[in-house]
Amino acid sequence: MTRLNVNQILALCLALVAVGYLAMAWQIPNFPLPRPVDSDLFPKVLGFTLLGLSLLLFLEKPKAQDIPDELDPNEQAQPLLLRPWSRVVITSLAIVLYALLLAPIGFVVASTTLSFGLAWYYGYRRHGVNMAVSLGVVLALYLTMTKVMDVYLPTGILPL
Amino acid sequence: MEAFNNLMYGFGIALEPMNIAYVFFGVFAGTIIGMLPGLGPISALALMIPITFAMEPSSGLILMAGVYYGAIFGGSTSSILLNAPGVAGTVATSFDGYPLAKQGMAGKALAIAAYSSFIGGTVSIVFLMLVAPLLGKVAVSFGPAEYFALMVLGLTAVVSLSDKSLVKGLIAAVVGVMISIIGIDLQTGTERYTFGAAHLLDGIDFLVVALGIFALAEVFYMLLRGGGGKEQPRNAIGSLKLTGRECRDIAAPIGRSSILGFFTGVLPGAGATIGSFLGYSMEKRLAKDGDTFGKGNIKGVAAPEAANNAACTGSFVPLLTLGVPGSGTTAVLLGALLVMGVTPGPAMIESRPDVFWGVIASMYIGNIFLLVLNLPLIPLIAKILDMPRPLLLALILIFCMIGVYGMSFSVFDLLLLLGFGLLGLGMRLFGFPAAPLILALILGAIMEESMRRALQISGGDWSIFIDKPISMWLLIIAVLSLALPLVKKAIAGVRAQA
Repeated sequence: MTRLNVNQILALCLALVAVGYLAMAWQIPNFPLPRPVDSDLFPKVLGFTLLGLSLLLFLEKPKAQDIPDELDPNEQAQPLLLRPWSRVVITSLAIVLYALLLAPIGFVVASTTLSFGLAWYYGYRRHGVNMAVSLGVVLALYLTMTKVMDVYLPTGILPL
Repeated sequence: MEAFNNLMYGFGIALEPMNIAYVFFGVFAGTIIGMLPGLGPISALALMIPITFAMEPSSGLILMAGVYYGAIFGGSTSSILLNAPGVAGTVATSFDGYPLAKQGMAGKALAIAAYSSFIGGTVSIVFLMLVAPLLGKVAVSFGPAEYFALMVLGLTAVVSLSDKSLVKGLIAAVVGVMISIIGIDLQTGTERYTFGAAHLLDGIDFLVVALGIFALAEVFYMLLRGGGGKEQPRNAIGSLKLTGRECRDIAAPIGRSSILGFFTGVLPGAGATIGSFLGYSMEKRLAKDGDTFGKGNIKGVAAPEAANNAACTGSFVPLLTLGVPGSGTTAVLLGALLVMGVTPGPAMIESRPDVFWGVIASMYIGNIFLLVLNLPLIPLIAKILDMPRPLLLALILIFCMIGVYGMSFSVFDLLLLLGFGLLGLGMRLFGFPAAPLILALILGAIMEESMRRALQISGGDWSIFIDKPISMWLLIIAVLSLALPLVKKAIAGVRAQA
C-alpha cells in the first residue's frame, strides 16, 4: 500500500473539517420571511470551496517547505521536560493555568509568576534580574491600564 | 489657489499653540500605544473620546488624527522587532521587517518605516486636500457587487503574493473567512458556528487571532527550534543610515505605494490593511529581486509603510466629505465628532471649514512630528532586541495575554488565543501562509454582507457580479492575479525541461 504524503494527510483532515462544516451549514435555521439569500448560503459556499481546495491539495506534491524540518538532535537528547515539543506543551499548559488563575489570584501575581516562571524554565538563570524585569513590566502595565486608561484588571489576593 | 488659501486658513488654526501641543501629544500617545501588541488605533482613539469631549471640535479632531497615524506607525515597530503586529495595517510590514531585524538591521528597517510613513502620509495629504470631493463621488458610486469584487481582489492579491503554495494560501483565506462569520448573523439574527457558547455570539476578535497566529506562534516556533533554552547571539540593531543606493531603491516603491494606499484608503472597508497588502504585493511583482521579498528586502518594508499611512489619510475622505466611516477606526472618529456636535458630510467643508482645513493642516504638522519623534527614539526602541531571549519570549507572552484580556476581560479569549497560537504553529510547520487568513478574517464579514446585499438586489441572480463593469473588471483582475503565478511556474517548468 502506498504511504500518504504530508499534503495528502493534511488534505484528508481538511476535507473532514469541510464535511463537518457543511453538515453544520445545513442545520442553520431558515429566516421566517422568504429571502433570496439566507444565512446558510455563504457557509455552504465556503464549505464546498474548502472541500474543493482539499482535493487540489491532495493532488499537489509536497515541497521542502511543506515538510517540517527535523528537530535538533542535541535538543532531542535533553531530559524529557526540556525537549522542544515538551517546551511547547508546558507553555500551553502554563497559559491554561494562567487563564484559570487570573481572576482568583489577580493580574499582578498571575502575570509576574507566569513571566518569571517561563523565563526560568526557558533557561534564564539570573533570577534577580528575571524577577525585577517581570515584576517591573507587569506593574508598569497594570498601573498604566488601571490608573491611566481606567481599564479594570483583577486585583485578586493583593490589595492594589 | 482656493485650495492654497484654504490650507493657509487651516494652518492658522493648526498652528495655534494648544493645537500644536495636541498634535504632539496625539502622535506621541498614538506611537506608544500602537507599539504595544494588542492596543491598536481603535483602542487608542476610543480612550481619547473622554479627553476630547470638552474640546473645540477642530482641536479634538486634530488630536485624534495625530493618535490615529501615530498608532499605525507605532504598530509597525512591534511588527518589525517582535513579529507581533498589534494593528492589522502593519501585518505586511512584518513580512520583511522582522527578517531584517533578525539579520541585525532592525535600525534600518525602523528608519525606513519612519521615512516611508512620513512620505506616504505627506503625499496623501496633498491628494486629500486637492481631490477629496471628487474621490468621494467615486467611492460612493461603489455598490455591494463592486465591494464584494474588491474584497475578492484583496484576498487573491495576498494569496498570490505568498511564496508558499497557492492552494494552501487559498485554504488559509477560506479558513479566515470561516472564522469571521462565527457568531450572530447581523442580517437575520441567526447563530452560526457558536457551538452554543455565549462567548462566541459576538464572534472572534481580530486581535485574538492576530496575536495567536503571529506572536504566540512565533514564540512556540522559537521554543521548538531551540531558541528558548539557550542564549542566542545578539542581533545588532545596525545603523539607521540609508545608503544612496538604498534611498534610490525605495524611492519609487514609496511613491507608488503612497498613491495606491491613498486611493485604497478612500474606499470604505478597504483602508490601511488592504492598502498595505496591495502595496506590498505590487512591489513584489514589480521588483527585479521579488524572490527576496519575505526574506528581508527593504522595499518590502517601505511599500506597506507608505501605503498604510497614506491609506489612513485616505480614509478621512469618505468620513469628512460623506460622513461615511471607511473603517472601524474612522467609525470611532465619527462617533467622537458627533459627540462634539459636528456632523460630517458634504456640507461640512462649507459649514465647518475650521474643522476640515484645520485637520488637513494639522496632518502636515503631525507627520513632521512623527518623523522628528520617532527617528531619535529608534535606538531606544530597538534595544528590546538586546533582552535575553528567554526573558523576551516570556514577556511577549505576557503582552499577548494583557492585550487580549485588557480588551475583552474574557478568560475564554485567552484560551482562544492559545488555540490560535497552536494553529499558527501548525500552519508555519506545514507551509500555510498566515497573512491570507488574517486578511480574510478582517474582510470576511464585509465580504459576506456585500455579497448578500448584491444578491438581494438582483433577486438571487449571480450575474450581477459580472453585469456591473467595475465589479467584472475587479473579478477579472482577481482571477488573473491567481493565474499569473501558475502561468509563470508552467513557463519556468517548460524552460527547465528544454
